[in-house]
This record gives sequence, structure tokens and C-alpha cells, in this order.
Amino acid sequence: MANLSPIGSWSADDVMHFARRAGFGVRPETATTLAGQSPSTVIDGWVDGTADSTLFNAVMNARADVMWQGADDKDATAAGAVDVAAAAPPHRFLADGADAWRNNFNAAQASWCFRMQHNPNAFQERMALFFHNLFATGASKVDSVALMLNQIQLFRTMSTANFTETLVAVSKDPAMCKWLDSVENSSTYSSTPNENYAREVMELFSLGADNGYTQQDITELARALSGWSYTIAPADWIKDPTYPDNGRPAKGTFVVYQEQTGFTGHRYWWQGLANNGKLYLQHPRNASEANQNKISITFLGQSFDITTTLNSWSPGENALRSITTSRATECSKFLAKRLLTHFVTPNFTDQDRDDVALLIRNNNFNIGATMKALLKSQYFFQNKWALVEGPVSWSVRAARMLSPDLATADSQTPKGFPAWRGLVGNDYDSYIFDNMGQSLLDPTGPNGWKEHVNWINSNTIRYRGRMAAAVALGESIDYYYYNGKNANPQYPKQTVKLFPGEPVDWFPSAPTTAQQVYDRLVLLLQPGPAPASVGTSMINSVFGGVGAAVDVTQSASKNKIRELAYLILCSPAGQVY
Amino acid sequence: MSTRREFLQTVGATGAAAAGLGLSTACGGGKKGGDDTKKEAAIPIPAQPILVVINIAGGNDWLNMFVPIEGANAAPYTNNRPTLQIAPTKTTKIETGMGLNNDFTGMADLYKTGRVAFMPGIGMANPNLSHFTAGDLWGQGWVAQDAPLSIRGTGWLGRYSDGVANFGVLQGLTTTNDVPVELRGSTRNFVSITSDRGYVYPAYLRNDNRVGQNNGDPYFGQSQSLEDAFGAAVQASYSDAAMQAVARAGKAFFDAQNTFGGATGQLPARAATVAYPGDDAYPIGRVDGGRLYNGLAGQLKLIAQMIASGLPTSIYYARIGGWDTHSNQLVSHANLQRILGGCLDAFYKDLKNINTSSGNAQDRVMIMGWSEFGRRVKENDGGTDHGTAGLSFCMGRAVKGGVYGDIPSLSALDSNGNMNAVVDFRALYATVLDRWLGQAPSTTNTILGASYPRLGFL
Repeated sequence: MANLSPIGSWSADDVMHFARRAGFGVRPETATTLAGQSPSTVIDGWVDGTADSTLFNAVMNARADVMWQGADDKDATAAGAVDVAAAAPPHRFLADGADAWRNNFNAAQASWCFRMQHNPNAFQERMALFFHNLFATGASKVDSVALMLNQIQLFRTMSTANFTETLVAVSKDPAMCKWLDSVENSSTYSSTPNENYAREVMELFSLGADNGYTQQDITELARALSGWSYTIAPADWIKDPTYPDNGRPAKGTFVVYQEQTGFTGHRYWWQGLANNGKLYLQHPRNASEANQNKISITFLGQSFDITTTLNSWSPGENALRSITTSRATECSKFLAKRLLTHFVTPNFTDQDRDDVALLIRNNNFNIGATMKALLKSQYFFQNKWALVEGPVSWSVRAARMLSPDLATADSQTPKGFPAWRGLVGNDYDSYIFDNMGQSLLDPTGPNGWKEHVNWINSNTIRYRGRMAAAVALGESIDYYYYNGKNANPQYPKQTVKLFPGEPVDWFPSAPTTAQQVYDRLVLLLQPGPAPASVGTSMINSVFGGVGAAVDVTQSASKNKIRELAYLILCSPAGQVY
Repeated sequence: MSTRREFLQTVGATGAAAAGLGLSTACGGGKKGGDDTKKEAAIPIPAQPILVVINIAGGNDWLNMFVPIEGANAAPYTNNRPTLQIAPTKTTKIETGMGLNNDFTGMADLYKTGRVAFMPGIGMANPNLSHFTAGDLWGQGWVAQDAPLSIRGTGWLGRYSDGVANFGVLQGLTTTNDVPVELRGSTRNFVSITSDRGYVYPAYLRNDNRVGQNNGDPYFGQSQSLEDAFGAAVQASYSDAAMQAVARAGKAFFDAQNTFGGATGQLPARAATVAYPGDDAYPIGRVDGGRLYNGLAGQLKLIAQMIASGLPTSIYYARIGGWDTHSNQLVSHANLQRILGGCLDAFYKDLKNINTSSGNAQDRVMIMGWSEFGRRVKENDGGTDHGTAGLSFCMGRAVKGGVYGDIPSLSALDSNGNMNAVVDFRALYATVLDRWLGQAPSTTNTILGASYPRLGFL
């Protein structure tokens, strides 16, 4: 039985555990400060997002200061190119809003990683990452990174919302409408609805396979959600400055596309512009069935008028909403399982899961209240090191521990971090997230990523090693930018560190022995409980002995410190959290 | 397990042979693969067989690949597919009533030489139409309801490898960056190899970034001690199950990087001897224009390269996704068939030009393709939804080509409008385990949890 009663006090070690799971970690000094406050106060504020984000917002608004300039834009003569070195901020983010036409997938991945690394309200990013796995949507089919980033922003805003509202909002999200074919769902021709979304919304998003619904329920729900689609207002269609016939949406607007009276067949929605400047094919909701008195469906044992807009709901929304009421027990168990697997432990008993499911129902499916209770619980704090950390989380946490904080980084030259753009871009033999098994913003299927030990195989371990090298060994990249002045461009070269952290900054006071270095790095990087022999072997391999003298001002010592951090990050104990 | 030194010797010999291969098949001696132009009898099972598994992920609508052009199924097929039906003129008739879609490039010719066994209507009892349930059950090779706890989370090939004495770290490989359930055993998992280079430790993101190198520090050069420390960490025993699993994966990488490609961490280069879909020289494009870019060609080229370099691998695994054609099926399914058929055809021909001390690669390789399910008989508005019975196939020189199992009736569908499976998918596995992988029938039955009929294609 899961002990869900709240803890009354906590240690710095508890705070570190909490911050790793509910965010992406805090430094030991921050943990010590927070440990002096009541867990309830800290956790409530953490979930509610009360941290001061003035600087973060300012930096995000001056976007290119924190973004790596895409190599494909380095030709300053191309329309829309940004010369980062020369242009005054605010710079462009190169992926959404007015830059949606660029459709720069790697910039989008990088921008989210940057947010995870620096958002002072890290819980929003953590929940967005959780929802990105639960409602897994892939950019490769959506074909618009702006719509993808809009969906991630939706997840942030829903991080403490009621789950039913989140389910409805996700079902209306344009990226989702495209991803699971809601835009193709019409029974006009064949009276056979496209059931892709109706199936997955129950199987993957709310109930789980074989958990309280039938194939008939899938077909009926598909009928209810027929015509759920989106339009793109002309102002939201961003043209490529060089090729105005091409463009991408910056934003989509949900609409239930109703068939016009007397019209049969496909229609092009006049306002819908789409890929390559063509009109986007929208499939209308089936009105002919309504004319045949098929306005009601039976779904999960209840009847619904799927034409009503009562409560300002969209047609069919009543059926969708009923999932969490008609199948409250099943849905809460499903959600409990997902929350436990991501936040607490995969080794829960059925009873543990049912206890958390009851917590969810007692909180009327409010995720914020549920998360507060779960994260304060004895059960949560009893399960340190129970999870294998996902690769994005693991990378971000390492960067948070070993790189300068936002205020420091923002005052350095070059400003910000080329890291994430450099890591995920195709210039640097990377696709590193793909190879670590988590292609952020582009999962291969709507089932997302299996978590825990499923993150780990020989290839993902190999690429975690590469990521660890980038962060801990201080790897650098050559950055060539076009200054717009050379006739025969020899791009001026800058060599910059991917993650500009220096070993001296990793210590509150300068270490003098190898053992002190190891102890501090373990505290920072928090590997799980490994056999003592492993640590000794690492120290001996790098320093030659636990008592070896260290002078952090000397490059030989600095390199050894980096190597030890690298080994800790790569080790089996470094993958659990 | 071979050491790096032993491995280098192996690669040295076969690598030179492979490098000399190029366009010539004269060197290497022994068999030289089959005649691609006429029907041949199956050759005996080779002494050192290689299984290449291709996962066709997403649910292949095989009714539009292996089309019922005549007979009792023809009318229900066209009635249920008003917009998506494949006309008989767009197929090549291979057996009574059945036409292979001409977009399934090269497959009709291969079938006619007797090299392909098709199993239409393969599946399982009581399918729930979920990709993920079906995929897991296919991988597991054991239906969920009766799977004992000890085998949950393991797959049929993983359990096979559990039982093979001294199954080497490179004996089972996947070219996907995940290790799917079929490749997981209780004591070992297959190794994921996604490129032919970079298998050295420390695994720097950029090779010119080694510690101490950029600033001219003489300290550079202690990679071996880093490697030793990593080796110690992954070979330690952990009380925590998750950490032990990580250590096991880390050790697989550690051992693989100690053997794969030797000191340079790189396989000998190999240029494919035929054009694959997506290559400059490949003559066929997408039905909607443009090249047939795809990931399968790269995986199969890598497998060919690994076979040519003499790796001791007996099972390779590759995947082609995108088959979940709920919409836009006319275009996307045709492109997928062009990619899959074209890749299989190119790979098979490429193998003919690979000779190692273990024999000719075309003689040694059997390709097994499978998809988690077929799709709904009745189309929706532009696509097809999830269905049941699927299509599997095996191809190779030792395969007795033909159609195995009855074809499901399209007039007798289940209550959801889906086909009823006629061949249990584990009959395919049992046949492969017995005949191709040389397991005793009793061992096969243990791996699969029961005895299933053997199919006659091997």
C-alpha cells in the first residue's frame, strides 16, 4: 500500500530527489536553502510556478541571444537570414511565430531544451515533457514545428489543470488533429469514419488497451468527433520570403467543419492554406447522417446527441468528456500508472496504483492538486533511485549542474548557449536525442516512449557517453558565421564550448584531493548507490589514488576533474534518479 | 567472446576480401549465389545461416499488396475498396486469384524464381486491434494470457539466444536505435548498431575534441584508463535491478566497441554493388514525385557491410515504419511498397556479391518480413483502419517459394469487419527456429510455450 501521507520535514538530499523528479534538479546549495523551509510550502510553490521568471522571460524574448544560429541561414544574402553577430536583439527564434516558415525542427528541439535548462518554474517543463510522452505527437507527420511548439505550450499551460480539460484541449489541438487524422475523419462518402484518433484517445491517452471500451465504442466516438479539424487564418500563414508560394502555419484554429446543406463530398475550407501554399484538404462533419436521424450515438453505455453545442461545447465533445466520468475508475488507474512510472517508480503494486487512482478521483482529476499530494507523499520519498532517467531529462540535468546559470551565461560572450542547437543539429554528427532513444518533438508513434529500463540499450548508452562528453569534457564546436561582407565568403570562425561550464565553478571551495573532487561530483550528478569499488576504480584510473593532490587552477587537474565527471555521468549509477 | 585482437585478425582477412569484391564476384571462391532469371530449386540450409528480420511497422494493408484479383474474394474486395482498390492490371498474377501489386518492386520476379514464401492471413486469436498489443505479442512470441512471469518482457529471439551456448555480443544485432522486445532475453539483449563508425571509448561527441588536445596539454592520451574505469563500472554487480540492467547494456556496448571494427572503431568501408531505393542511380521514384528516400536502405546496406566484414552475427533486425495508413493511402502505401520491395530486391542482389570464408551471403541469408496486423477490409475516407490477419513472408535461396496457409475469406469477416487469421504467427517462428536456426523441436516448443505446426517453406 502506498503511503500517501505527506512528509513533515525534509533534508537537502530529499530536496535534491524532489527537484530531479519534479523538475530537472537543483544545485546542492539551493537544496540546503530549501531544506530549511517546510516541504509543503516549497512543493506548493514549485507546482504553482511562483518563482520569479523576469530574467528568463527577458532572455526568451531576446531569443537569438540564447539560440544557435542555424547553419542553413548563414548565408546572409538569403531572404530572411539573420546575422546574429551583427543584428540587434530581439533576435528570432527561427522556429515559431513570424519564423514559422523556416520550419526548423532542430531549432525547435533546442529551444525547448533551453527552456528546460533555465525555466525557473521547471515544473511546467517537466509536466510538458510528461504530457509529450502521454499525448505523443510527432513533427514528422504534423510537418510544422510551430504547431508542435504550440502544443508544448498548451502542455505548459495545462500543467496543473483538470485532466478532462486537458484531454479536450489536446483533442482540439491542431498538431494532434493532423497527427492522428482527425482532419481526415469524415463519414461523408463511405459512412465509415476514420477511427484513428477515437481509438488512440482511449487506448493511449485515457484508459489503456482492453480497459473498459469496445470496438463499437471506438466507431461511435469517431462518429462523434467527425469533422474536428482546424483552419489557418491568412495572417497565420507565414510565407517563405524567398519563395512566397511556400509557407507554414504559425498557428491553427480549431473548428468543427460542418458540411454545407446539399453539399456532398470533400471541401476545401476557404481559409485553410496549407503545405506548399495549397489549400488544405478538410473533411467535413457528416451532416447527411444527421439528416437520417443519426444524431445520437451510444458510447460507453450512454446516449449522446452529437449535434448539441450545450455548455458551449463543440459537437461531439459531450461524448469525449464522458470518458473520465463513465470510466472514472479505469481512467484514474490508467493515469495513476503513467504518473507513477514517470514520477515515482515503475515497481508499484496494483494496490499502490489503486491508491494513487483514488487520490486522482478524490481530487476530481485535478492534476495540480494530485501532483502536490503525490510529490509530498512518503511514498514518493521512499522511492529514490527507483527510475532510469530519460535521456532528455538526464542531459538537461547534467547541463544544469555543470553549466553556468542563466544570469551568468547571459553576461558572457558569446551570449547564451550554442549547446542545444549544436547537439541536435545535423551539422555535428549528432541526432543525439534520436540515438539516445528520445527524438524530442518527434516520437515515432502515439504510444510515445516506454520509460525506465526501456531507455537503455547498448546504443543509447553509447550516445549518453557522447552527451556526457559534450557537457563534462567541455567539448567545443567551430561556429562559422557569415558576416555579410565577404564577396567570397570565408566565414569568420568562432570556437565555442557547447556547455561553457568550468570545473572551478563546480565547487563551493577549491578541492585539494581526488576524494574531495569525487564526493562533490557525486553530490552534483547524484548517481545512485553504486558499489564503493566502482568509485574507487574511477578515482584511481583518473587521478591515480584517492589522496592525489588537486589544484583546480591547473589544466591537468581541470582535465582530470572533467574526466571524473564524465565517468560518473556515463556509469550505470549515473543513469538512475 | 572474441577479444579485440582476435577480431582484428578476422576483419583483416575478410575485410581485404570484401574490399577486393567491389564489382567482381570472382574472388572468394565457393558458391556465388543464385540465378536471378529462372526458377530454381531451394538449396539446402546453409552451414552458417543468417536471419534478417524486417519489421514492417504500423500494420501493412496487405490486401493492397497481395491483391485478390480473381475468385471469391475479388468481389468483396472491390466492394469494400471503392476508392482504394488496386486494379488487376496494376498487379502481376502469381497464383490463382492473387496478384502482386506492381508497386511492390521486384517481388513478382523474385517469387517467380521460387525464392519467396508468402503467408497471408497470419495472426493471432482474439486480437484487440492495437498496434502496441499486437506488436508486443508478436515480439514476445507468446500470447499474454498464458505467459508466465518469467518470460514477460522477453521475446522469441531473445529466448532463443538465452539458450545458445556462448552467444557472442555481436551474434544478434539490430540496426534500429531501440532494442525491441523480440530481441530481449532473460540474460542478454541484442546489441543496437546504427552506424559503421565511432565505436570507440571514450565516446566523444566530436573526435577532435579530446581532453587536452585542443590546448596542447601533454596530459592527453589516457583514454585507456578512462576505458578501464568505464569497463569496471559496467562489469560491477549492482543490487538494484535497474542499475544492473544499465550495467548489462553498458557492458554490451563496451564489449561491442572492443570488437566492432577493432582499434579504429570502424568497419571496412563497402560500397553497395547495386542501387538501393533513394540512391542517385536507382531508377524508380515516388508515385507523387521525388526520390524514394527511406531508412530501410541504409539499414540493409549496413547489414550487407557487416556481413561482408565477417562479423559473427547470425541474426540481424531492421525496421521500416509508416504503414499505419489511416489516410492518404493511395499515395503513401504505394510509396512504401516501392521502398520495401525495392530494398528487398536490391539487398538480395547485393548479397550475391558478398563472399566471406563462411560462404556466399546470398546463400546464407534468409529474410523474414512481418507486420503486426493487416488492415480493415472496408476503407474509410481515404485510408484503412486497424485490422487483424497480416501477411508475412520469407525469402532466400533455401526457401521453397509459394503461398503457405489459406487465404482468409473476405465474405466471412468477424463482427468488426476484419479477416479471421488462418495461420498462427508462432507457426512461422517454430519453422524458423527449427529449420533455420537449427533448434531441436522440443527446444523450439519451449521457447514458444507450445507446439505449433511447422510450415513447409524450409
